[in-house]
Amino acid sequence: MKNVLIVDDSRIMRNIVKNTFSSLHIPCEFIEAANGNEALLRLSENEIALVLLDWNMPQLSGIDFLKKIRAMPQYADLPVIMVTSEAARYNVIEALKSGATDYIIKPVSEKSFKEKISKIEF
Amino acid sequence: MEKYIHPFIEVCENVFRDFIGAELTAERPYFIDKKDAHEWDISAVIGLTGEARGAVVISMKKALALKITDQLTETVHDDVDDEVLDAIGEIINIIAGNAKRGLEEMFRLVISLPTVVRGANHSISWPNDQTRIICIPFKIYNEETFSLLLAIEASH
Repeated sequence: MKNVLIVDDSRIMRNIVKNTFSSLHIPCEFIEAANGNEALLRLSENEIALVLLDWNMPQLSGIDFLKKIRAMPQYADLPVIMVTSEAARYNVIEALKSGATDYIIKPVSEKSFKEKISKIEF
Repeated sequence: MEKYIHPFIEVCENVFRDFIGAELTAERPYFIDKKDAHEWDISAVIGLTGEARGAVVISMKKALALKITDQLTETVHDDVDDEVLDAIGEIINIIAGNAKRGLEEMFRLVISLPTVVRGANHSISWPNDQTRIICIPFKIYNEETFSLLLAIEASH
C-alpha cells in the first residue's frame, strides 16, 4: 500500500484533499502534516510515494519544504504535487523551478487530480 | 482602486460555486471608512505585500459562517469553533490566491496566512491609513449576505 503525504495547515483542506484523492480509487494510505516541519518528520518516519503540498503554512512553507527535500538525494525524484491557492503564473513557475512535479490550484477537483496523477508514476 | 475589483468579484463567484457549491450575486461596491460600524460577527483577513500593499477581508454573520462550514465539512456546527475559523480562513486564502492571477499583469503580490477575528463590532487593522477600503457586498443562499473588503495600492 502506497503512502500519500498530505501537507496543509487547514484540517478541512486536508480532509477535502483526502476525500477528493480517494475518489480516484487508488489504493493508498494517507499521512498528514500541518506544516513543512511536520512534513519533514513524516517523511523521515515513513516510506512516502507522493506528496500533496500546500504553499502557505506556518513554521515552514510548502515552497521551502520543497527546496529542502530536493536538496536531499533520497527525495530528488519523489513526486510532489503542489495543491495551493497561489494561482499567479509566477508562483507556478517558481514551484516548478523549485522541483514541484506538478501543480493544482485550489479549489481541488476529482478531474484535476485525475489529470495530474495520470502523468506521474504512482 | 476600481480596476482591482473585478478580479476579486470573479474569483469570489468561482470559489463559492466550485468550493462551496453556492451561487453568489455581487452587489454594487462602495467605499467605506475603517471607523464605520458594521454588522458582522466574523472576519478573515489576508495581508497583501510585494509590489502592492493592502489587505483583503471576508466578513459575515455567524449563521452564514456556520452554514458554510457545515457545507464544507458535511457536519453540523452549532457555534464558532476551530473548524469554522479554519473554513473561513481557508476561503479567504483561496480567494486571495486566485485573485493574484487576475492582478499579475499589474503587480506581483505576496499573501499572508489568514487571521480570523470574531465578535460583534470586532475591528480590523488595515495596513495603511491612507488606502481607501472598498466593500463588495454579495448575496448568497437567496437572502443572506457577506462582504469582501479590499484595500490595495501599488507600493512606491
